[in-house]
Parts: sequence; C-alpha cells; structure tokens
Amino acid sequence: MEALVRLSFYCFAAATIAFVASAACYLAYAVGRVRLRQRTLATSAGTTLVAHEASLEPAALGVGRFATLLAWFGVAFQAASILLRTVAGGRLPLSNMYEFSTTFVLLAGVVYLLFERWYGVRQLGAIVLPLVVAMCGYVWLLPADLREVNDLIPALQNRPLMTVHVSLAILAYATFAVAFAAAVLFLIANRWHVSWLPSPDLLDDLGYRAVTIGFPAMSLVLILGSVWAYRAWGTYWQWDPKETAALFTWLIYGVYLHTRSLRGWRGSRSAVVLLVAFGAVVFTYFGNYVFGGLHAYGGV
Amino acid sequence: MTHASVQQPLAKSRALSEMVVDRIWRFFCSVRAAVAEIAILAVLVLAGTLRGSSVPQAIADLFPVTAPVVDRWYAWDVFRSLPFAGILTILAVAIAVCTINRAPGIWQAIAHPSVTTTHGFLRNAETSAVFAAPMPADAFASQLETALRSRSYRVLSEERNGEIHLYADRWRFSRLATFPFHLALIMILAGGIVGATWGFRENEFYIPEGSVRELGYGTGLDVRLDDFSEVYREDGTALTYRSDVTLMRDGEPIQSGSMTVNNPLTFGDIVFYQSGFGQAVALKVEDSAGQVLFDDALPLGPFQSKLNPDAPAARMNLLPAGVALSVIAPDENPANAPELDTLQLRSGEMFFMIRPLGADSPITQPIGATVRQGDSIELGDLTLTFVRERRFSVLQIASNPGIPLFFAAAVLLVGGLAVTFYFPHRRVRGIVSTSADGSLARLAPIARRDWSAKRVFEQLAVEIGRQLGTDPELHVNEPASSSTGLGQSVRPSF
Repeated sequence: MEALVRLSFYCFAAATIAFVASAACYLAYAVGRVRLRQRTLATSAGTTLVAHEASLEPAALGVGRFATLLAWFGVAFQAASILLRTVAGGRLPLSNMYEFSTTFVLLAGVVYLLFERWYGVRQLGAIVLPLVVAMCGYVWLLPADLREVNDLIPALQNRPLMTVHVSLAILAYATFAVAFAAAVLFLIANRWHVSWLPSPDLLDDLGYRAVTIGFPAMSLVLILGSVWAYRAWGTYWQWDPKETAALFTWLIYGVYLHTRSLRGWRGSRSAVVLLVAFGAVVFTYFGNYVFGGLHAYGGV
Repeated sequence: MTHASVQQPLAKSRALSEMVVDRIWRFFCSVRAAVAEIAILAVLVLAGTLRGSSVPQAIADLFPVTAPVVDRWYAWDVFRSLPFAGILTILAVAIAVCTINRAPGIWQAIAHPSVTTTHGFLRNAETSAVFAAPMPADAFASQLETALRSRSYRVLSEERNGEIHLYADRWRFSRLATFPFHLALIMILAGGIVGATWGFRENEFYIPEGSVRELGYGTGLDVRLDDFSEVYREDGTALTYRSDVTLMRDGEPIQSGSMTVNNPLTFGDIVFYQSGFGQAVALKVEDSAGQVLFDDALPLGPFQSKLNPDAPAARMNLLPAGVALSVIAPDENPANAPELDTLQLRSGEMFFMIRPLGADSPITQPIGATVRQGDSIELGDLTLTFVRERRFSVLQIASNPGIPLFFAAAVLLVGGLAVTFYFPHRRVRGIVSTSADGSLARLAPIARRDWSAKRVFEQLAVEIGRQLGTDPELHVNEPASSSTGLGQSVRPSF
C-alpha cells in the first residue's frame, strides 16, 4: 500500500508540472503577443525617418493548442494519482483536505477542458489553470502525514453517502471556478473590447451554464449532507458552520440566478455577483481552518 | 349629507386600501426585492457562520476598537433571532405571492401563446434565418411546420394579411418547473417548524452498561444498555463502537437491537443514534439504616472537579441523605498539567466526596476518601461501595415528524432545478410571405442575449434547411456591447 501511495504522489507531482506549464501557455495565449514594426519614411527634406510601432496581437494558435495538450497531460497524471490512491485505500480519496484538494485538482481540470471543448474558448484557461496550479501549491504545503491513507473515523463510515456528497461538492466547486473565470473574462472583454477574446454574450452564457451545473450539484450537496446528518446525528440541520457556509454559497448563487432576469443586471453586474460568489466558495472550502463544529474532523 | 358625498369618502378609502394592497402585492412579486431578501438572508447566514469561527476574534485582535462589537456578535444567536426568522418569513411569503402572480402568465404562455409577430421583431432579432422556396407560401409554411415538428417542436400558425405567422416551441412545460422548486423551499421551512413543534431531540442520553434509563418525552419507553463494545486501530484511534440496547415498556422488553455511528436503530418514528461513550462507575450507596439510596452506574465525564480538572468525574444529589456526592476517577492523561492533580489516583481507585446539600444536611463540611474497586467506605452516615468500573454509551435520540416533508421537498427541489436548467423553453417565431420567386420565410428565436438559445436556433435552421433542400441565410445583429463592434452581418450556413 505504501508503494501505491508513493506512486500516487509522484503522479500528482507530474500533474503539477504539466498544469504549471499549461497555465503559462494559456496565459501567453490569452494575453497575446506584442508585435514590433519598424517603418522607414522618406521626408520632403530628403532625410529618412525611422518609426517604430508596437501592437498587441493574438498569440499563435499553436500556443493555445499546446496549452490544451499540457492540460490533458495534467488531467491524465492526476487521474492516475487518484486511481492509485483509491486502490491503496479501498475508497475514493475524499476524507481529508489533501484528498479533497487533489480530487478537486482533477475535477477542475476535467470540467474546464470539457467547457473548452463545448464552447471553443481557450482564453478561459488563463484563469482556471492558474487556480488549479494554486490548489496544487496548497496541496504541496499540507503536512506530509495527510498523504497517508488512513481508515475512516466512525463518523465518516458511510461510504455511499460520503462518496456522493463529497464528490458533488468538488464538482460544484470546480464548475464555480469555471464560472468565475468566465465572469473575469467577461468584465475584461466588456471593458476593453479585446478583439481576440470571446464575445461578452458567449462568456455570459458560459458562466451561466457552469452555474447551471454547479448550483444543482450544490443543492444536492446540501440535501445529501442533511440526509447523512440525519442518519449519523439524528437531525438534518444543526446550523453547523460548514453547513451554513455551504448554505451561504448556495444563496449567493441563488442571487446570481435571479439577477439574470433583472433588467440592467444581466451582464456586468451579474458577473460581479459571480466574483463575490466564488469568494464564498473559497470561504467555504477553507473554512475548516477557522470553523469548529461537526465537520472539524479528518484532521484537515 | 347627500348620498353622493357619502360615496366619495368611501370610494377614496377603498382606493387607498386597494393601493396599499397593490403595493404590498407588487413588493412581494418583485424580483428586485427577492434579490435583496436573498442577499440579506445570505448576510445573516454569513454572520451566524462566522460566529462559529475564530474570525471575529481575529478581527478584534487586529482592531481592538471593534472588541465590544465582536463580543455582541458572539453573544447574538443569529439563527434563532427575530431578524433571521423575519427574513425567512418574508421570503416564504414572497415565494407564495410570486407563484400565485406568475402562474396565470406562465400558463398562458404554455397553453395559449401569441402566434403572430412583426417583421420588425424578426428583422431586429439578434439572430434570424431566411429561407426561400419556389412554391406558394401556404405550401412552404406547411413544409416548415413538418420540419419543425420533426425536431419535437409544437407549431402553431395563423394567417394574417396574406402572410402566415408561425410560432414554434419545445419543452414548454418546463416553465412550470420553477413552481416545484420554490414550493420545495417553503416545504423545507415547514418541515423545520413541524419538527421543532411536534418532534423532540435528546442530544446527550447517557446510559451505563447494564442500566435502564427512562427516555421521557411522553414515549413511555425505557432503554437498557445490554452491552457496549469498541474496536480500536493500532494507533489507538477508535475504529467503531457499538451499543446493544433493549427498548422496554412497563418493564417488558419490546425490541432489541444494535447501533453504531452511521447505523442508527429505529423504533417507529424514534431513531436512536450512537454518539459517544465513556467511563462509568457502578456504585452502591446505603444509609445508616441499611436502606439502599443508589445502586446503579454513574457516567463519569459530564462533570469537572476542581480536585483534578483533567479527570472524568460525576456529581449526583442524594436528596434523602441531604448530601451531594462527587465521584472522581484517575487522571486519563497524567502527563498533562500534573500540578492540577491533587488526588494522584491509581488505576482501580475512585475518589468519593460528599458535600452538604440543603439546610438540613447531616454534615457541615465535605468529606472525601479514596476507595479501591470492590471495597466500601463510610462517609458521614453513608456507606459507599465501589462495585466496579463500567462504560457508558452516549446516544442521541430524535423523533422528527417533519422528515417526510424534507425528503419530498428534496425531490421537488432537485427535479425542479434539473428541468428548468436542462430543458429550457425554446421558442421560435416566423413569417412566411409571398415573394417574386415563390415565398420567403424568416424565422427568429426569442432569445435576447441568450447565446445558447441562438446557437440552438442556428443548428435548428441548418437542420431545417437540410430537410427542405434549401440553405438558410443566417443574419446576426450584434448588440452594441459586443467586442467586435460589428453591426449586422450575413453569413451562409454550412
């Protein structure tokens, strides 16, 4: 088992490298390149004038394709890492922050690449992949003992519910990350009219579509969490900080969905709501470090 | 005073009351107000969440001037406060009012949509498709209807001024899905109220091994803990723990069963949950006349003694004897703050202490002594026997009649969301008119700033063109906010 766990970690390391390289390529693709031109002009006095001009142009398509390829490599390595850890532990790796975060890295990569394929938008990777890299960095900073595969404490010994409840939470967070990226790009595209960025309408739709996956997933997280709480603790809602933080996130996305039908709110304002909502996601994700309550097990 | 002059004030007051009702109704129907209400609820939830964290204290440490506010924040039970209940009530009313208000309009759009449209709408639509055919308009319209129906669209048509107006839609009933979703929210609130009003929950039901405890809450049930067992891992952490219990009524066993964490025991609508466990002491207390005042097990842990704050302890009032009895076990972690342990008990020992209770107590000072397992000791007029060490189990016991409401709400909530998001109501309008070469049809989706709907329409237009053997001309009117800044453009389909 130790060999499998070690191998799993090596695969995660390889995934990290692939994601870092991919993020760099996506950033280069999204930002574009500066093209310098030199022009020589003849003046009426018989002298010549050399003029230099710089213009921002889209990056070569190959950079974007390479970024996508590297992202797929990262996903493949991370999938191998998760698979190895699953075999080692006899369950999906979902019981502490190390396992949760590594699974998030995988799902965030997969969800982003699917959206890239459906919408044909690569520039989103310039925001999502750095988020994935940041999460990889966070995982590297976690204490090494969290990498060990341990048996579940009694409170977590409900594998079907734990698997579905936690997996849906990770899926929700991953899609919300894509929605966040779409909102950021929307605000940039809407403000500066960069010609090689997707249209604001497309980005608005992409963000909305991501939320239409994440919001039901988050709803199921709350429902299944309540079912599990009822099964384990005798009550489906205890105002536990982690529960209420998840509810807070759900409510903010509820605000977002309602603003889309408000005149004057669709577009920039609802994009800002998406940014705030992702802040709520981050708050809920890392809340274990400051919350007490019933979710404060798993040793972080 | 004339009849007319009496009528006027009545009319005015009626108009005023109607205006007030109308304003209130509009407020509860307003999406803007709903957004504000949800946002306020979110802020309150955030305040309550942070109250269960170290964040407010961190704020107070950084900005000492905020310390009084932080203290009040920690003291404020947000989730049981009036503002929280108030905003939930307002939201529930808003959902109900909004549903009643929207239902007729939604049903009208489903059952009796407006079929006719205008050339202006079609020309100015963000996306539209133009089809040409060398045949009369009615024949072409018929072919278009067939093509649309083959794509699962309902098609309605109406002739006006020699032109044929078309209305086509798909998944129209999905517009109703918003109602089960919002109803589910009210049901969840209702379930919570029902559970709180007619249910009960016992958070810490201590029961030592071999003992019988009354459940209470009008159930008439007693619980006997027959056995408690736990399994540990090599590193000393608990793997699982289990309680074997018998439920009794009037002294007769009615059901036996086991429970572990995540595997509760159910009896009717009462559910027993394994929550924790600990150490208990079986002891016997007799007075000077030999009458037994106590012969049972006492859970150690709920009480903390100043003689050793680290040690499991218990306290019990012996009213007939006029004393309070404290029992303290050996320290579970002697290395932790040993200077606080004034008893220095060894394994197999217990410390008993009696204190005066009430004005008629036979003793005036506390009396304590250490006892070994199996031994007896006299304290005051009492004989205390330390029979043996035992374990106790901590159960949570709950009855919640609101649970069926919650589960039904969960199904409606998820179902409503799924239908709303994944089967959106798609609508297309069009006009088929006679042209010099036959007939011309212009179709456009009702999809303002809806990129997905426009894409679906473009795919539909291409598919219809394939079925009809004619290529549509797709027109795109880019909105002013588009990044390209282009106006109308025409592009061929492919």
